[in-house]
Amino acid sequence: MSGPEAVAGATPDKPRMPGAPGSAGMSLACGDVSFSYEEARAPIPALCDVSFELRAGRSLALMGASGSGKSTLLQVIRGLDAPETGAVLLDGAGPADAGYAALQREVGLVFQAPELQLFAPTARDDVAFGPRRLGWPEAQVTSAVDTALDVVGLPPARFAERHPYALSGGEQRRLALAGVLAMRPRLLLLDEPFVSLDPGTRRQLVGILERLKAAGVTLLLATHDVDLAWALCDELLVLGEGRVVAAGPWDFSTAGGRLLAANRLREPFFAELWQRLGRDPRRAPRTAAEAAEALS
Amino acid sequence: MTDAPLVDISGLHYRYAGAQADALADLELEVHEGEFVAVVGANGSGKSTLARLIGGLEKPAAARHALACGHDLLVEGGRMAARRDVGVLFQNPENQLVAQCVEDDVAFGLENLAWPAADIGRRVDEMLARFGLEELRRREPHMLSGGQKQRTALAGVIAVPRRVLVLDEPTAMLDPAGRDEVLTAVRELRDEGLAIVYITQEMDEAVGADRVVALERGTEVYAGDAGGLFADVALVRRLGLGLPAAGELALALAEQGRDLPGLPLTMDELLDALGGAT
Repeated sequence: MSGPEAVAGATPDKPRMPGAPGSAGMSLACGDVSFSYEEARAPIPALCDVSFELRAGRSLALMGASGSGKSTLLQVIRGLDAPETGAVLLDGAGPADAGYAALQREVGLVFQAPELQLFAPTARDDVAFGPRRLGWPEAQVTSAVDTALDVVGLPPARFAERHPYALSGGEQRRLALAGVLAMRPRLLLLDEPFVSLDPGTRRQLVGILERLKAAGVTLLLATHDVDLAWALCDELLVLGEGRVVAAGPWDFSTAGGRLLAANRLREPFFAELWQRLGRDPRRAPRTAAEAAEALS
Repeated sequence: MTDAPLVDISGLHYRYAGAQADALADLELEVHEGEFVAVVGANGSGKSTLARLIGGLEKPAAARHALACGHDLLVEGGRMAARRDVGVLFQNPENQLVAQCVEDDVAFGLENLAWPAADIGRRVDEMLARFGLEELRRREPHMLSGGQKQRTALAGVIAVPRRVLVLDEPTAMLDPAGRDEVLTAVRELRDEGLAIVYITQEMDEAVGADRVVALERGTEVYAGDAGGLFADVALVRRLGLGLPAAGELALALAEQGRDLPGLPLTMDELLDALGGAT
């Protein structure tokens, strides 16, 4: 956790100059966060006393069975839903602290199937929507949009003036991501970003997320894809019926494997391979290239 | 298997209004009773359009012939009949959930067919159990998670007796255990004699199918077993696809100068190959 200095350094009301992502990531801590959905009959508890920490610049895979509360947690962290109890600390600051709203604006959330929310007549306008709403000067908006389009592999010269609906599904997904990146998030939350993408587009997205990680952006990735979670994320948080059932480094011990299975998950392919080869699964490779190097 | 295929499409073309090119061009597809065919291809290759056509929801621009369960998809009456006999699960379950709660949604198709209430009740119970939805039966669909919505939509499609099922990425939103459950259900339905068209971006799932069809810009570029597709690495890359993890590792090993016997596509095949090569 970074201290109050980090909060002071976040320059609450002056947006960072857009450029290559380079600003340090934001730290995140949830303390006893609970949240329920209202329904006619009875409130449905979605999160129950969720506590964990994620240091600035680290990456965390958020996993758990369907309906375990992953999407809800992302929305609470982004501030779209207020926790009933507990608090979300950003760079060590809580909701009562000055500058919290500005910190929340540096948290980007990429929704499930975000391409369903594309609406503007051109790719440029769609990506510019967030920065304009933040009141950035137009020159700064333009530069932020160009950078974001480049980062997601949609060079502005070719794509900025295209109609979003004229793009392929994979291009639309990356355009929606650009709309979030244009606001220069220091903490990026992604909800099932790989769903429905073809394997080639998945590889591109993995590359984009690796570059953001290398630039220091803190990542929280909700996914059912154990292999991509293992390839990208330093740590693991498993939710079960709205509660934290595991938090911290990946655990491939017998108990760790049982815990994954009990939560409708499985071990990553390479961890299982290392186990079955009699090697230490904690040293399992993250990618096929790493695995080949270790085996040849 | 000697009977006419349940999906029998030849030379089919389809183009969206205002589009510059065909979404499907000269498409061939045959799926027989009791056959599980995986359809793979990049985003935008025409997979979902194909699902809508087989389900009688779109009119082909032209075709030598286009039959689903023997119904002629080129004429309005045939398409209406196909909508009854072909179950289609769409990619986005949000578009498919219509009722006030999970059990009503699963019952919806049966009510449209005017089944007696007691039969509907029994069938719905069976479907809810099959997909682990019993405890959610009174839940409003918009209060479900993505994976729960997908299971509800699938239960509703399968509740109605069908001869052909078209599933458009049915496991996309599911946790790994849910994915296994759906694949098990698909194999059971195949064994019960249904013809299954299974659209997927998961190469591991394609390996488990009886046959794989690969589309590129609306045209079939491969039809055969999964091993044959993945052995053509240049084609796989051109199509924007990948190999199952075991295959990707075998390729990476070959780049390092270590060739494995054959091309392993599963963990067990990989372990055999590694054992044989050391």
